Amino acid sequence: MKNLPRNFFLPLFALLVGFGIGLAYSWVISPVEYVDASPALLRDDFKDQYRIVVAASYASAHDLARARARLELLGDADLIGALSAQAQRMVGVNESDSNKRALALLATDLQKGVVSIPATRVSLAPTAQPTAATLSPTESLVIQTSTPTAETIQTPFAMLAFTLTPRPTFTSTVSVGAPFALIGQDTVCDPGVEAGLLQFTLLDSRRRQIAGVEIIVTSIAGEDHLFTGFKPEVGNGYADFVMQENISYSIRIVEGGTFINNISAPSCADPNGKKYLGGLSLTFQQ
Amino acid sequence: MKSSNWITLVIAVVVGIAAGLIYGWVVSPVEYVDVTPGIMRADYRADYVLMVAEAHQREQDSETSARRLAMLGSDPPAKIVESALIYAAQNGFTENETVVLRGLLNAMQTYQPQGNNAP
Repeated sequence: MKNLPRNFFLPLFALLVGFGIGLAYSWVISPVEYVDASPALLRDDFKDQYRIVVAASYASAHDLARARARLELLGDADLIGALSAQAQRMVGVNESDSNKRALALLATDLQKGVVSIPATRVSLAPTAQPTAATLSPTESLVIQTSTPTAETIQTPFAMLAFTLTPRPTFTSTVSVGAPFALIGQDTVCDPGVEAGLLQFTLLDSRRRQIAGVEIIVTSIAGEDHLFTGFKPEVGNGYADFVMQENISYSIRIVEGGTFINNISAPSCADPNGKKYLGGLSLTFQQ
Repeated sequence: MKSSNWITLVIAVVVGIAAGLIYGWVVSPVEYVDVTPGIMRADYRADYVLMVAEAHQREQDSETSARRLAMLGSDPPAKIVESALIYAAQNGFTENETVVLRGLLNAMQTYQPQGNNAP
């Protein structure tokens, strides 16, 4: 009995020391090495880069199901939310406009569940015949051919139907590069809306909202680049910007070159006569 | 100390080390949550290269494509694409996908870095 503590604790101590050595080796000196990681384990900045590449690939291949499957590899609970959040983070940072546009396009298409076709330049072979064939009004994919060596641009973000049957009698409403006209300018006096909020809604010639359109807002404070479609939950053709009080802004819609100036936040008054900064809602249509 | 005691101690240490290794490697291994793309599984890497190739087909921007490929490691971009092409050949990628990858390989083989590391 006299030697029991020593006989008992010494081996126990040795066991614990051994366990500590084993743990240090397996966790610090030679931890498990992952060599077959999935994209879900990527660091956040790499996930952002991965999403950009998925969007850029989608802008080229127009394979929505595949783009969705690729995004699902990242393990985001909300694919569209993750894309939109990244698009918001990219506003104002040194990221190329084409990447921003591709993300907005993918977010919008995932939201709608259909493929859009961005404006792409198609160089035609010299042997192309000067004929034009288009589709029915509900099948708005536009197929164009042109004179030899001509360069045409497809309709931006036209919806691609899955069962297309060409009907050559329909006159298309090709509106690529067509300027946007300001068709609505409404003052928003709602205390529940952020003060000075400048809201844009961009529509095509058929009054469908268009994603991926770049808007440049300029003031003495500098220049901001916006893209429609970053908030698909509001609208695919929606974008917004917060104006400061007593500052005049100029707006330019890059596609089509539409320009308006002297836009400023209006002053509103509540029922008690107290003034507050209101917002503006601008609607443009091609 | 008796030799039998030393033997007991050594056995205890060895058993402890073994238990520690099993715990650290199997029961509760180090968990990686912020890994780099360089250790992605081969199929994910090949698909990533295919995405870059598809984007390159439209953008024709070798600088951007090379920068995107650099995410997969420090190997030359052409070598990364070659590896993806080998994987594609062994795993039934479509002809169209292979053509797209070859297009990127051609671009990367002639690509000369401009020394611009901007993102």
